[in-house]
Amino acid sequence: MRSYYLLTLAQLRIFLRNRQVLFWTLAFPIVLMVMLGSFLGNGNGVSITAAVVDQDKSEQSKNLVKEMEKNEAVSLEKSSNEKDVLDQLKQGDLTLVITIPKGYGENLAGGNKADPFKLPVYYNETNMAMSQVGLQLVDNAVDTISKKSVSYEPVVITESKGVEALNLRYIDFLVPGIVAMMIMSNNMNGVAGQISSWRERGILRRMQGTTLKASTFIAAQITARFMLNGLQAMIVLAVAWAAFGIEVRGSWLTVIAFVTLGTLAFMAIGFIIAGIAKTPESAGPIAGFLSFPMLFLGGVFFPIRDMPEFLQPFVQILPIAHLSHALRETMNVGASFLDLGMEAMILGGWLIGAFIVASFTFKWE
Amino acid sequence: METQQEIIKVQKLVKRYGDFTAVDGSEFSVHNGEVFGLLGPNGAGKTTTLEMLVGLRKPDEGTAIVGGFDITKELDKVKEVIGVQLQSTTLFELLTVDEILHLYGSFYREHISIPELIDDMLLTEKKNSRIKGLSGGQKQRLAIALALVHDPQIIFLDEPTTGLDPQARRTLWDIILRLKERGKTVVLTTHYMDEAHVLCDRIAIMDQGKLIALDTPSELVRNLQSDSAVEFKFNDEVDIALSEIDGVKQVGSQKDVHVLYTDDLQKTLTSLIAIASEKQLKLVDLQTRTATLEDVFIHMTGRRLREG
Repeated sequence: MRSYYLLTLAQLRIFLRNRQVLFWTLAFPIVLMVMLGSFLGNGNGVSITAAVVDQDKSEQSKNLVKEMEKNEAVSLEKSSNEKDVLDQLKQGDLTLVITIPKGYGENLAGGNKADPFKLPVYYNETNMAMSQVGLQLVDNAVDTISKKSVSYEPVVITESKGVEALNLRYIDFLVPGIVAMMIMSNNMNGVAGQISSWRERGILRRMQGTTLKASTFIAAQITARFMLNGLQAMIVLAVAWAAFGIEVRGSWLTVIAFVTLGTLAFMAIGFIIAGIAKTPESAGPIAGFLSFPMLFLGGVFFPIRDMPEFLQPFVQILPIAHLSHALRETMNVGASFLDLGMEAMILGGWLIGAFIVASFTFKWE
Repeated sequence: METQQEIIKVQKLVKRYGDFTAVDGSEFSVHNGEVFGLLGPNGAGKTTTLEMLVGLRKPDEGTAIVGGFDITKELDKVKEVIGVQLQSTTLFELLTVDEILHLYGSFYREHISIPELIDDMLLTEKKNSRIKGLSGGQKQRLAIALALVHDPQIIFLDEPTTGLDPQARRTLWDIILRLKERGKTVVLTTHYMDEAHVLCDRIAIMDQGKLIALDTPSELVRNLQSDSAVEFKFNDEVDIALSEIDGVKQVGSQKDVHVLYTDDLQKTLTSLIAIASEKQLKLVDLQTRTATLEDVFIHMTGRRLREG
């Protein structure tokens, strides 16, 4: 028992005295989070800037501009010089340019139903996706005006209902992913690197020469790493809270439970890598080979549903996918541990499977 | 000697790595309270033998009784009565001397007073220093302190002085001799002959996995029957009867290096140079030295302890 306590303490001391490692393992996730969060964190990513050139300046044209301004997705600027704004459109500074030609008001008042008035809308063909969205929005505004002018009574209307009750931003998606990424890299890469280097340097062999039991050693490793990870996760969450107002909506106990499960599962994988790697130099690339795809495919930065179809079965078995999903559900939606039974079971499966493999591949020397 | 209590009894130990037999049926006994040296060149099987005795490697055949316990069956009990210092072990570099001794102490059921142990190993000033900053000699003394932390009867030291400067080596010798005074049994491996001579009560010489001699250092040298050695090369291959040079008692030649063993260095040298001049042979790399255990080794195996 005393050796368990002292080994845990020794490992924590080693962590704390290795300032550089401590700093960079924390700095990387935090910088990444703040950077991505500031660039992409606000809004849903689509912002349309349109310019309207009102050459008509009638009551009707002002109504149309007002109607278009109602839509919050479009930031509308008014201009009188059509040539200027068309140049800006070509340079990509604007998404759309709408011109209301002279005669718009008269035409509408005249009520020429057979020949509807043509409203020119210019868009940049190199940015089709955004332009399409913008055109759609202008269409809607124009449609509303048209319908009003003929006292149109709709027979059927759509009622759109969001499935997620919460308004989630990218940063809400990102923060749990960053925590999952940190747990993966600290444990998988950390354990692989440290254990293989301790083995190379004979530290493990020297301990094998004493009456210390391997289980005590591993238990102390787990405890120390769990404490360190818990602390680091808290710091990242605190920064996320201070910088972006991210809160944990679900239970802290569930967050802690998944941090623990993730720590254990990735440590076990780290032990496998340490067992396979012949030298500490090769442990790094092996861990990188595993962590890199997981970073990009495992739902850390992008939702898994955005992945190509053929990758889906592969993506669905990655442990990081379930860790980040579980943390996300807990933090964003407030899911309870029982709701996340599937994730817990898959992570648990990885943990058990990896520990079994690790116990076969592990070597003290 | 035969009446002394045997604390280690090695019985036909064999260790193979594929086709290569690292240890080939070693058999010897170590007496309680002696300093026992395993001597041999790199790759002779000293370290492998020692590692089997401390339980770090499983023997393929044979066994050994260490401190009354069988290493193949009661390894846990063996580990309680032995202390180990391994070749080129590094420790947790970011811990302090005091911390690591307490840590290793906790691995055993009981441990001796850590402050006293630190004083004994002359590490008092470095008590709170990190291991990273210790000198080679200090690290080696710490490694020995770790081997002593649970007050074992038998201490295994694998090349304790390799890579140390002469002063640090002597400090370590004093420590090992003090252990002997306290009645500990010490088994050490070395390839330094002077070290084996100073420290060891008995020496086992190993070569290519086999035990080729076992005796006290002075007996081993006495068997060589000479006290000086002359070493040289000729720059041409020649056929001379070297044993006819004045004063030469034995000739030990390997490849192109000739070694003459003599009791009268001056007479042999004069005679050698005279013959070389007469036959117009050029002497290369001529050197003289006192006959040592190294010569015993060359004499027995036809090879040097340390190649190159």
